Amino acid sequence: MPMTRRIWSTLVLAAGPMAAWAFTVAIAPASPQEVYLQVGVGGFVGNYNVGGTPGANATINKASVSVAASAVGNGTAQAMTTDSSIGASPYDGYIYCSTPAQMYIGGFYRKTTAGSNTATVTATVPASLVNASGDQIPFSRISWTTGGNGDNGGEPFPAGTFVGGGVQTVGSMAQNQWAESCWTFRYANTTLPPQGTYTGRVLYTLSAP
Amino acid sequence: MRARFGSALRCLACAGLAVALVGACPVAAALTTAIDDSGTVVLSPSVPMRWQTLSPRRTTSELMTGSTTVQVRLNVMPWLRRSGRIYLVLPAQQPGAIHASWSTQGRLLPGAVSSGGRTLVYAGPISVPFVVDVLQLAISVDGRQMHQGYDLNFRFEMDAN
Repeated sequence: MPMTRRIWSTLVLAAGPMAAWAFTVAIAPASPQEVYLQVGVGGFVGNYNVGGTPGANATINKASVSVAASAVGNGTAQAMTTDSSIGASPYDGYIYCSTPAQMYIGGFYRKTTAGSNTATVTATVPASLVNASGDQIPFSRISWTTGGNGDNGGEPFPAGTFVGGGVQTVGSMAQNQWAESCWTFRYANTTLPPQGTYTGRVLYTLSAP
Repeated sequence: MRARFGSALRCLACAGLAVALVGACPVAAALTTAIDDSGTVVLSPSVPMRWQTLSPRRTTSELMTGSTTVQVRLNVMPWLRRSGRIYLVLPAQQPGAIHASWSTQGRLLPGAVSSGGRTLVYAGPISVPFVVDVLQLAISVDGRQMHQGYDLNFRFEMDAN
């Protein structure tokens, strides 16, 4: 009997440590969800692909055109230019858009869930552009084409025309995707509005599930 | 009746002795044994996992990566003056597909392992009671599975000759 007890003691000592040894590393997502949208000038510090980080930028960029008196309403679309100096993609610094003809729009959407979620970019558009006298030009007179340097395939922010007085979808970002396009705006120039400077502001919003 | 009882006790003793011999002799051929790594220290044991860079224009990247330093100290005294192979093991565990890679200061081999697997980090004679090295450990996981924090368990195993 004493021998039997001694054998079982040996068993415990020999078998105990075999399954116990391990070292542990705790991992946790630093940022489970991230979204970023840039229209024109943005707030990126450094390029994303080398550790750059997104930030806020309050700049409101402008797309504009001055139509010569002799050309007003002649039906020839007038190319607009932007005051945005940003042609380089904040992803890698690649000269993607040609300024001042084009305006950069892009960003990304990150989320730690399985699936194919999509973030949507909408434009909130006033009914009209207005001058100091209260005269109006419908926003629907402005449209845009899309495409940047080196592009092929479809664009995440496709060509379109403003729909005045509403909210319209102007593009989307798939989950865990960087999406970017370059927009070239134009004024249809099909009417004869009174002389003046007409302005209006469009608000772009990124919504992510 | 008493004799049969005594016989049963002896059989139990024999069986116990056989198991004890296996457990107490980690140098038996092809025997895999977990190594006492209680002296191992993970510097910054809480690792923030960050998104790996995206590729622009439609290509997705769903990996999250993080890194830490591990001061390894393995008690290999039971195999002293014998030969063996040491493996770093990453058992299958949450959050799913995990990949780890590491560099070393030379005592152990650099390498990589995916969850559910093990990778050789040393092969040869065991001439010192403790194997010591520093690993720079990089971990990557599918970010879509990182719904919360997870404790990843690693261990070292010895295949003794």
